[in-house]
Amino acid sequence: MHPAPGRSAAVGVAVENVSLSFGAMQVLTDVNLAIEPGEFFALLGPSGCGKTTLLRLLAGFERANSGRVLIGGKDVSALPPWRRNVGMVFQSYALWPHMTVRRNVAFGLEERKIPRQQLADRVQRALDLVGLGALGERRPSQLSGGQQQRVALARTIVIEPDVLLLDEPLSNLDAKLRVQMRHELLTLQRTLSITTIFVTHDQEEANTTADRIAVVDRGVIQQVGTPIELYDRPANLFVANFLGVANVIPGSVSESGGRMMFRSREGDLVVPLPNGHRDIRSVVFRPQDIALMAADAASPPDKIRLSGVVSHREFLGGVVRYHVDAGTRAFVVEEPHRRNHVAVPPGAPVSLVLDPAHAVGVRD
Amino acid sequence: MIAEFRRHPGPAAVFFAVAAFLVVFLGVPVVNVVFVAFQDPATGAFTLVNFEDFFRTSLFRESFWNSIYVAAMTVVVASALALPLAYFTTRFHFGGAAVIQSLGVVPLIMPPFVGAVAMQLLFGRNGSINLLLDSWFGITIPFMSGLNGVIFVEAIHYFPFILLNVTASLQIIDRSMEESAQNLGSSGFRLFRRIVFPLAMPGYVAGASLVFLKVFDDLGTPLLLNVNKLLAPQAYLRISTVGVTDPMGYVISVILVAFSLLAMWAATLALRGKDYATVQRGGGGLARRRMRPSEKVGAYAVVLLVLVLVLSPHVGLALLSFGTVWSFSTTPDAYTLAHYHKIFEDTPEFVTNTVLYATLAAGIDVVLGTAIAYLVLRTRLPGRVWLDYMAMGAIVVPGLVLGIGYLRTFHGVEAPWGGQPLAAWWGILVIALAVRRLPYALRSCTAALQQLSVSLEEAAENLGAGKLRTVRRIVVPLMAGGMLAGFVTSFATAAVELSTTIMLVARESDAPLSYAIYVYMQSAAGRGPGAALGIVAVVIVALGAFFSHRVIESERRERAVLAAA
Amino acid sequence: MRLDPWRFLWSALFVAGLFAGPVVAQSIEDKLVIITSFPKDLTGPFQAAFEKKHAGAKVEVLNKSTSAGIKFLEETASKNTTDLFWASAPDAFEVLKGAGLLHKYSTKAKGIPEKIGSYPIHDPDGLYFGFAASGYGIMWNTRYVQAKGLPVAKEWDDLKKPVYFGHVAMSAPSRSGTTHLTVETILQGEGWDKGWATLKDISGNFKTVTERSFGVPDGVNSGDFGFGIVIDFFAFSSQASGFPVDFVYPKVTSVVPANIGIVKNAPHPKAAEAFVEFVLSPEGQEILLDPKIRRLPVNPATYSKAPQGFPNPFQDKSIGAGVKFDAKLSEQRYRAVSALFDVVVTYRHEDLAKATKAIHDAEAALAKKPNAEGAKLVKEARAAVTAMPISAAEAAKPEFAAVFTKTRAKKEDKAAGRQAEVEEQWDSFAKKNYADAKEKADKARSLAK
Repeated sequence: MHPAPGRSAAVGVAVENVSLSFGAMQVLTDVNLAIEPGEFFALLGPSGCGKTTLLRLLAGFERANSGRVLIGGKDVSALPPWRRNVGMVFQSYALWPHMTVRRNVAFGLEERKIPRQQLADRVQRALDLVGLGALGERRPSQLSGGQQQRVALARTIVIEPDVLLLDEPLSNLDAKLRVQMRHELLTLQRTLSITTIFVTHDQEEANTTADRIAVVDRGVIQQVGTPIELYDRPANLFVANFLGVANVIPGSVSESGGRMMFRSREGDLVVPLPNGHRDIRSVVFRPQDIALMAADAASPPDKIRLSGVVSHREFLGGVVRYHVDAGTRAFVVEEPHRRNHVAVPPGAPVSLVLDPAHAVGVRD
Repeated sequence: MIAEFRRHPGPAAVFFAVAAFLVVFLGVPVVNVVFVAFQDPATGAFTLVNFEDFFRTSLFRESFWNSIYVAAMTVVVASALALPLAYFTTRFHFGGAAVIQSLGVVPLIMPPFVGAVAMQLLFGRNGSINLLLDSWFGITIPFMSGLNGVIFVEAIHYFPFILLNVTASLQIIDRSMEESAQNLGSSGFRLFRRIVFPLAMPGYVAGASLVFLKVFDDLGTPLLLNVNKLLAPQAYLRISTVGVTDPMGYVISVILVAFSLLAMWAATLALRGKDYATVQRGGGGLARRRMRPSEKVGAYAVVLLVLVLVLSPHVGLALLSFGTVWSFSTTPDAYTLAHYHKIFEDTPEFVTNTVLYATLAAGIDVVLGTAIAYLVLRTRLPGRVWLDYMAMGAIVVPGLVLGIGYLRTFHGVEAPWGGQPLAAWWGILVIALAVRRLPYALRSCTAALQQLSVSLEEAAENLGAGKLRTVRRIVVPLMAGGMLAGFVTSFATAAVELSTTIMLVARESDAPLSYAIYVYMQSAAGRGPGAALGIVAVVIVALGAFFSHRVIESERRERAVLAAA
Repeated sequence: MRLDPWRFLWSALFVAGLFAGPVVAQSIEDKLVIITSFPKDLTGPFQAAFEKKHAGAKVEVLNKSTSAGIKFLEETASKNTTDLFWASAPDAFEVLKGAGLLHKYSTKAKGIPEKIGSYPIHDPDGLYFGFAASGYGIMWNTRYVQAKGLPVAKEWDDLKKPVYFGHVAMSAPSRSGTTHLTVETILQGEGWDKGWATLKDISGNFKTVTERSFGVPDGVNSGDFGFGIVIDFFAFSSQASGFPVDFVYPKVTSVVPANIGIVKNAPHPKAAEAFVEFVLSPEGQEILLDPKIRRLPVNPATYSKAPQGFPNPFQDKSIGAGVKFDAKLSEQRYRAVSALFDVVVTYRHEDLAKATKAIHDAEAALAKKPNAEGAKLVKEARAAVTAMPISAAEAAKPEFAAVFTKTRAKKEDKAAGRQAEVEEQWDSFAKKNYADAKEKADKARSLAK
């Protein structure tokens, strides 16, 4: 067991060349990750992408076919779950119905043979930390969903794990509670400065909490970066689409005059890509990077102009989102909303103005 | 393959311990007896000719189909009896639920011979019911004749298997499952059929497969009704005929075992690939609804009707135990306490022996059943399902075969204490009872574990508990209901086991109740005392079942105090 | 741990005694283990009286059904723990004798004749001893008979009558040695073919064929069926217990002994011998007169102490007078007869009963409206029902008997096939004949309409 009390430094987690399959089904393919000590790290991806399996691998519930996992520089690949000192909060919380809240929280400390008085103190502290100090004698079935979530959290952090693993911890909560809990989680993580890995399919959750995000699809890490990096510089089509709304224009890259140029499939759009590669298959424009103008307005220089018709619009409060049909393509454009600003009605012919400087070239 | 064992030394040790137990106390004794099935009767050489004979013989073919028909129909009738009891008592605020559920176990305890006499006196061609029907309406109903008679009696006798297992399953289905269905407009019978019943499937399949196998293998009832064109009686009659060495009895035993394994495999397939674990066990508590007054009347009427029907043999038994002479009449001629006086003068140690043996045997069963269920459902050790199959195979080994096998295997072995043969030690009888009743406990334990979400165990491991401690602190407490159901079933049926007991009892002072009942029932004068002993057995088991329910219920109530509020 | 300190002490003393010098071996061992199929009502009084007579001797009575008892002795022979086997059926003792599991002994008991009726009381080879006699007959429930308005059947032939259809029961001869003797008595009394015809005609009236011999008196006592073909003491002891039943010996019956034998390598041989002597002594014989036991003593002198109306086969020559029982013939075809009965009656009882009912109905119809062709058909139907797949001569052949037992003991023994094979032939024979009979009888009945 790790000496837990009075912990000082957080530890890093490294995943090296990990592959895993269940029978014929390949679940993880050559996964490499380096998570910094004290980092709040998110694994983001659609359901079934392998992110939970990766988390369970870190906890020791799954065994990799190849590759290894290092926690604090130590290879833990061969250790069973109970020897890893990795705390996991389950999506279902997995609270034991036959035990009170206090007994649930005390469980891990009892397994560590912590002396009784110290145990009681630490359990109470953990319960106080999650704001359930008064509910220790309740049964899990007597708690609300949010309270159950806090118990699960308390049960895990009370053992002062080296790494905290959270499996979709907020998915069973209502929207308002989710925002609150996510803030609390972050505060808690910062207070404890514990390396935390967080699995979610919700980009907003990942963006608002994580220091860095790994986007996972079909068992492969697509890209690792800060939320802003991922949004502004998606490496491929999947990342671009998964994080925020993307207007994707397919085409190809060719070199002309020493410059890399992207040409759309229809040929109506040509943009220079200074750092472009030949394997780039599309460019992406974010909705806020496209300007909407009256069909007869004068065209600004150095911009690309496409004609279209507004098919429908959505008022989102801060912004108005327009769906515009332009030939065979459909675009999503967002404009900030201000009071007394008159929105363009559906059916109106419009011009779309795209700035080549905002084009991001992405691979498939 | 072997790496899997090496990687998990703890489970591997349990695996080998369980396997060794089953091989020594089930495999070896049975093989010691049934190898005759593979011997040429004339030369002793290995042959399959006996199996050819089996399929060539029209009597055996008819018996085979009759057995399947009777077993399947019994499952249908038993389900009709069990499901209303299980559903009403677990899903509604239903007064006397614990009493009803305890009484529901009672039919399993049909003491040998006297149970049969009581049934005949009530339902027989000239039993109370038919005598009354005849005098009132001039009709009689052949409850107790032919295959339908077997189905009738077996269904009454074995429906508790379904009741117990379905009740255990229903009690751990999260209420959100039903509430969401109600929310989507489902109610009443549709709610039961589309949501509740499918979710209780592991319990139902466990119970129904037990009923099927037990009936398929059952001897007592066909013999009581003198229906012999079924496989089990055919095997028994051939094995127990004095001085005849017909291998067909053993051939039929082998076929019973093989077919039963097939049926179990089919039951496993039926459940495979479906997830029945309700994630947050007890999270939302149990859904208990209130019935409208009209519904309440209907439900109580159904429950009472079922109870009256299934408990009537025991009412008959009670009458028999207090009656003087009961012959061709609706009730005994007069009543007396003499039979009870007699048994307490004759045989006080039978009661303590029975309680001791049945408790030990059921205890062994629950431990083994939990171990096997855990190995099967929670490990990937190769060969683990064979433990399950082997243990379940015990259900179809005729008690007589097991008894002979034990004598053959353990009589030559001297007990390490004193000079007596191991087979004459009462502990061997306990082990034999445990082996015979293991399938009951095993099915209950398996169903209970199936409904336990793995994440509850993973959470414990994640917090530092090893496999063993996880089992002890999480798995066992959460499986307690299923384990208790298994214990009660094993206990109840072990308490009245006769066919192995009569082979293995080596000293009257070591004998249990069923032996005493058998002895009494060898004479006309012993009918009353035999019935009185039968009642004692029933009372012992019913009390055990009732207190078990109280324990489970109080535990549950404690858990759900606030959830209900 | 179940170390019996007393036993330990005794054996220690015994060993000490061996070394101390010669022990006078007049007293018997302190323990006696008996395996029996007899009810407590019978064993209890004997046990009590024996223990009283031999102070210090503890009799341990283990109750097992006859077949379980034999299997137990066979399986434990290597290390025998049993002293005596005590049961009714002579055939069970023949099996033990054949397997060499009995100990030879010659009794000192006086006053017991060589034979009862035509049946030897003791085994001529001295391996087992008859201690009580029993005869076979018809037992009936008086309430049942009154309620259904049935006449009382006194002879086997009475039970053939249509009026008894569905009112009679008997145990299978393969299940009960005593029933086998009843069947064999009828076969010897009337001859193979006529005997089987009688048996089948009676069996056609059976409500059921019970699995154990006590099932018959049990059913008569309950009133489940009216008449049972039983051994006498079942009826007498039922009467003594207050059941409304009665019993009669038909003319064709035989009186056979119930037996006791010493098991080979008995752990307490002296006690075993003492018990045998006790059972055969006048004192022991008298216990048989107990109303709950009611078995016929084999010592004729004991009958002087019997209550009024107690049957005495040594004086009342009508009991068992009809047949000269050939025990050797019975032994030769024992298995064949039992198996034959099972195949053509027990397992095909439903078909047999249907055919019998059809014949009864046809005969009733023809009686009202005679029809020559119908009469012929009924006659053919009856012949089909009573036909047997094998003859008396075949049944008694040794190789036929070998079909039913292991022949590995002697290589030169030949078996005429496997049991399953033979039974399948018999079964198809019976099934077809019963179907034919029913068809013919139904046709005859329609002719008489």
